[in-house]
Amino acid sequence: MMRTSFWSELVRIGAVVSVALGIGFLITCFVSEEPVAAFRELLTGPFPKISFADGFQVKGMNRFGDWIAESITLVLLGLAIAIVFRARQFSLGADGQLLLGALAAGIVSLFVDASIWIHIPLALVAAMIAGFLWGLIPGLLKAYIGVDEIVSTLMLNVIALQLYQLLLTQWLRDPTAGFVGTENFPVTAVLPVIVPKTRITIALFLALLAVVAIWFLLTRTPLGYEIRIVGANLRFAEYGGINTKWVIAVSMALSGALAGLTGAYLAMGLLKKLTLNLSPGIGFEGIVVALLARNRPFGVLIAGLFYGYLRTGAQIMERSSDVTREVVMVIQAVIILLITAERLFPLFQEWRKRRSDALIVTDLAGGEGA
Amino acid sequence: MSIETVLQSIFTATFLASVIRVSTPIILPAMGGLISELAGVINIALEGIMLASAFFGVIVSALAPGWIPGLPIWAYAGMGAVAGILAGLILAWLIAFFHLELGADIILAALGINILAAGGTVFMMFAITGDKGSTSTLASPALPNVQVPFVNDVPVLGILLNAENFSGYNVMTYAAFILTIVVWIFLYRTPLGTHLRAVGENPDAAASVGINVKRVQYMALLMSGFLAALGGLNLSMGYLTIFQNNMTAGRGFIALAVIYLGNRHPFGTLLAALLFGAATSLGAQLGTLNIPSQLIEMLPPLVTIIALVVYNLRRRARATVNERKFQERAAG
Amino acid sequence: MSLIEMRNITKVYPNGVAANQTVDFSIDRGEIHALVGENGAGKSTLMKILYGLEQPTSGEIYLDEKAVQIDSPHHAIDLGIGMVHQNFMLVPSFTIAQNVVLGREPRSGMSRFVDTQEAIRITESLAANYSLDVDATATVESAPVGMRQRVEILKTLYRGADLLILDEPTAVLTPQETDDLFDAVRRLVDQGKTVIFITHKLIEVKEISQRVTVMRHGKVMGRVRTADVSEEDIARMMVGRDVFLQIDKPPQQRGPALAQIQNLGYVSETGQPMLRNVTLDVYAGEVLGIAGVEGNGQTELAEVLSGLKQATTGNILVEGQSIVAADARGVRRAGVGHIPEDRLTNGVALEADIADNLVVDRYYRPPFTNGGRLSPRRIRTEATALIAEFDIRAAGDDSPLGSLSGGNMQKVIVARELSADPKLLIAAQPTRGVDIGASEFVRGQLVQQRNEGKAVLLISADLAEVMSLSDRIAVMYKGEIVAIFSNSREGGNPALTEQELGLYMLGLKRQETLP
Repeated sequence: MMRTSFWSELVRIGAVVSVALGIGFLITCFVSEEPVAAFRELLTGPFPKISFADGFQVKGMNRFGDWIAESITLVLLGLAIAIVFRARQFSLGADGQLLLGALAAGIVSLFVDASIWIHIPLALVAAMIAGFLWGLIPGLLKAYIGVDEIVSTLMLNVIALQLYQLLLTQWLRDPTAGFVGTENFPVTAVLPVIVPKTRITIALFLALLAVVAIWFLLTRTPLGYEIRIVGANLRFAEYGGINTKWVIAVSMALSGALAGLTGAYLAMGLLKKLTLNLSPGIGFEGIVVALLARNRPFGVLIAGLFYGYLRTGAQIMERSSDVTREVVMVIQAVIILLITAERLFPLFQEWRKRRSDALIVTDLAGGEGA
Repeated sequence: MSIETVLQSIFTATFLASVIRVSTPIILPAMGGLISELAGVINIALEGIMLASAFFGVIVSALAPGWIPGLPIWAYAGMGAVAGILAGLILAWLIAFFHLELGADIILAALGINILAAGGTVFMMFAITGDKGSTSTLASPALPNVQVPFVNDVPVLGILLNAENFSGYNVMTYAAFILTIVVWIFLYRTPLGTHLRAVGENPDAAASVGINVKRVQYMALLMSGFLAALGGLNLSMGYLTIFQNNMTAGRGFIALAVIYLGNRHPFGTLLAALLFGAATSLGAQLGTLNIPSQLIEMLPPLVTIIALVVYNLRRRARATVNERKFQERAAG
Repeated sequence: MSLIEMRNITKVYPNGVAANQTVDFSIDRGEIHALVGENGAGKSTLMKILYGLEQPTSGEIYLDEKAVQIDSPHHAIDLGIGMVHQNFMLVPSFTIAQNVVLGREPRSGMSRFVDTQEAIRITESLAANYSLDVDATATVESAPVGMRQRVEILKTLYRGADLLILDEPTAVLTPQETDDLFDAVRRLVDQGKTVIFITHKLIEVKEISQRVTVMRHGKVMGRVRTADVSEEDIARMMVGRDVFLQIDKPPQQRGPALAQIQNLGYVSETGQPMLRNVTLDVYAGEVLGIAGVEGNGQTELAEVLSGLKQATTGNILVEGQSIVAADARGVRRAGVGHIPEDRLTNGVALEADIADNLVVDRYYRPPFTNGGRLSPRRIRTEATALIAEFDIRAAGDDSPLGSLSGGNMQKVIVARELSADPKLLIAAQPTRGVDIGASEFVRGQLVQQRNEGKAVLLISADLAEVMSLSDRIAVMYKGEIVAIFSNSREGGNPALTEQELGLYMLGLKRQETLP
């Protein structure tokens, strides 16, 4: 697979996104009385509206806050996936690692008494350790025994879910709540909001820090170099002296740590407790983000913001129209299919070339005959 | 309830009957996944295909009376089944097309289909019924139960063959077992099945004898879509006559594990699927003993991982043994 | 009567390589015909044309005196031509009978089911007819290599082949299995089949064939009756100096032995001994060339020396330090560089950029990594310097490596390995697939290393290259060193000739004790 130039990549991504949005609009037309209005809400909803009517006013901050809050989740997950995909490992274990991270954070939040300066970092670190270990297991199995990581991570997801639900229902459950969940976390374990009237918490800094950290890891550390080379050509990496087994295991473990951190964010930043259904399947959305970003950290930031925007826009659209937010998932699916179709762009170019060749021929023929 | 009572209740035909019933929506997609895996085109979108077929089965069979009134209920159920199967085939075809023609990675393409199904079903459900959780507002029929005649008075066998209350299992359950045998016959007794296994194991060898590898892989994916679709229909038109958001609950992925646990053979897969089903049923039983069901449900995936580890360790051991054997031969 | 006649066959590939030049080849019905030549002589290409895998640029093919166009292997099969490739095309978990009938399975009666019993019966009757002993119900993966080859032959017979092309069939066989194969071939011919035997093993040519066609550098050098020639005659036709390579070398100033290889043995994963008791010293300031036909253990020698594979027995010392148990990084640390034979697989990462490719052996050390921090800037500085020094034609050090030509890729590899200042440099097929300009450059670099007092181990199937660059030449045959020669013309030594080397390379001669 040749690495095409940056601009042609950008054009390709732009084309794919446009087509996907177009298809999304098309199906919206089928189900909605006012598709244009609905889609406009999708595309513009999350933006705060600035008006000068009664002096400088900014409206819709909470929608904007939702956008950022959603994006944080997607950016963190996207980074988790980007690391393993960079090393060319198909680890699908983000869901399970996320759950165990949330669980670890929840346990620390509920059972440790400390000031906020200690409580929050402790919980976050616990979450990252839990995710790290849960990612290390399939990593070691793959690297040293050769167990395929797709099946092992899917199975570990199931085990993690059962473990999470077990501990939640048997031990951590708040009997006074109307649903299955823990008590609210103490205020020392809740991520503080930084923009009033929104759900934007200090997690924003965490996410940005994570982007920079992963970028730093991949470009400014020897391990990052090893991950990139292992992903580019495993046998070349071995020939050059890199300990590829270790790199494979560590890449999956680091991915787990980030997924665990995401779980902690969901629990401590958004829900402020643990519930039974902690966003199932969101791990796969991380894959979409990473794909669109071509596994580059800053690309993940942008792709995460883009997806967060779409998801929030979809929620806004759902509240104000007759279109449900799942249309975004359809758009996501189209994006994945088109992005991963490697031969689509070359085939398209070939088709264009053939058409222009044919036009030239008919031109000449027409010229001759005339 | 004591341990004895629970143990007693496990070793009864009633328990086995519930295992059979619960395993059906795992057996069917697992057979589909097995076929595609053996052809070298693993299909991890079994989950999404099941969801889609479950949805279209319900919708079409519920709305069909409005389109063509006056037909008996089983006709509408049948139309629903056809719709569900078509949905599964189309999704499977999409994976095949994107992977075999457009060079998409088969894992990623299947992930895309999973997301498409998850989002698309809720999207359409809301558009049609105004409800995002389920189709409870619709009255959708079930596919018929089948009763095996004459055996109801036979102890054990009666329950085993006709389910707990002798009313017979859903037709899909019988289909699951019959199709397991059919799949076995197909894979090991027909030319196409043999070619399919050859394609999966050594595509160069298959191509060198004139087998059209691409065509075989297309067919394998379509077959997996068909079988997974049957599994989905069993969910929404079997004991439940409703479609719920995310009602597959990971069975499509369990089906993948079951294939490897069953050593990639139809009968092994069937047994492994029954094992997972047993874990679910057992979980319910042990709930009365205060043993949480989650512990039981953890066991099959754990067993799967251990099985994979053992398999890989043995493969490596065999290689070193070969090397040592020939070292001795060369030295001597 | 002539069964096959190929007239004036020329095959030129798009990259300009002329694999066959005005080749005339013919074979009579009922003959066992040997087609010999070194690697790259063009014999495989000629047979691929006959089997429909390639189309000739020009020339005609006649079957039973009628002109034919062979468009594809299936067409060739229809015409009764069957080919047994070097890499077996078998499904390991299937039985032998299943493999024989694969693609044309017999059906039972009117049903659509495979008739396994019939398949077994067909296999056993074919096997009995042609005395090709196989166990029809055993799986291929459990069958020994000799039997697997017989399965491939049965496959062609099942499809009605009258002419069988066997491509280097004895490469993977033990001596006993080779004898069995020859018996089988003779019996096939007794039953009216015709066999073309592609090989470079002259002893076998003498034993099995009635006529021989010798090819060299894409042309036919001779077509003779086997009984009329000796092995030396054939060798002389196979190995001749067409290309005159002259490289100026100052007289050698040899130092101590930098690398000592002692009793090195290596058994492959499939259980074949690829290296047997190899003992060599490589001295400072010399180029030691390893001559030999490919497949005689040279690949494995390079892999074991560079730490990519572990030796089964023996020791390797570099400046007295044992590296036989070291991994790739340990071997590099001990001062060994490796220009790999298969550069696309091992030597480069196509998707990474040139700079990253250049530092894979040193990125973790200062100045590239200091205190755990990697400096891309210093990597790029190094890359820019190396690109200039080694004249690598590229758009920039951040271009992806896949955008380079083969010759420039090889320059990247050479730049990396040489700039590590190794004590022992292993160069395996260093100019394969590389254009003239880059080849000259690479050879010049190797000589320069030698002049600077390094030890260079040159492994090459290009005999002219070996002879012009090496101070000493060792010949490998069947995993053993069968001869070591001095290649210097000083001191009144008679010049070593290619023909002489050829005899050792082809297993016709060996030194009783090695100097």
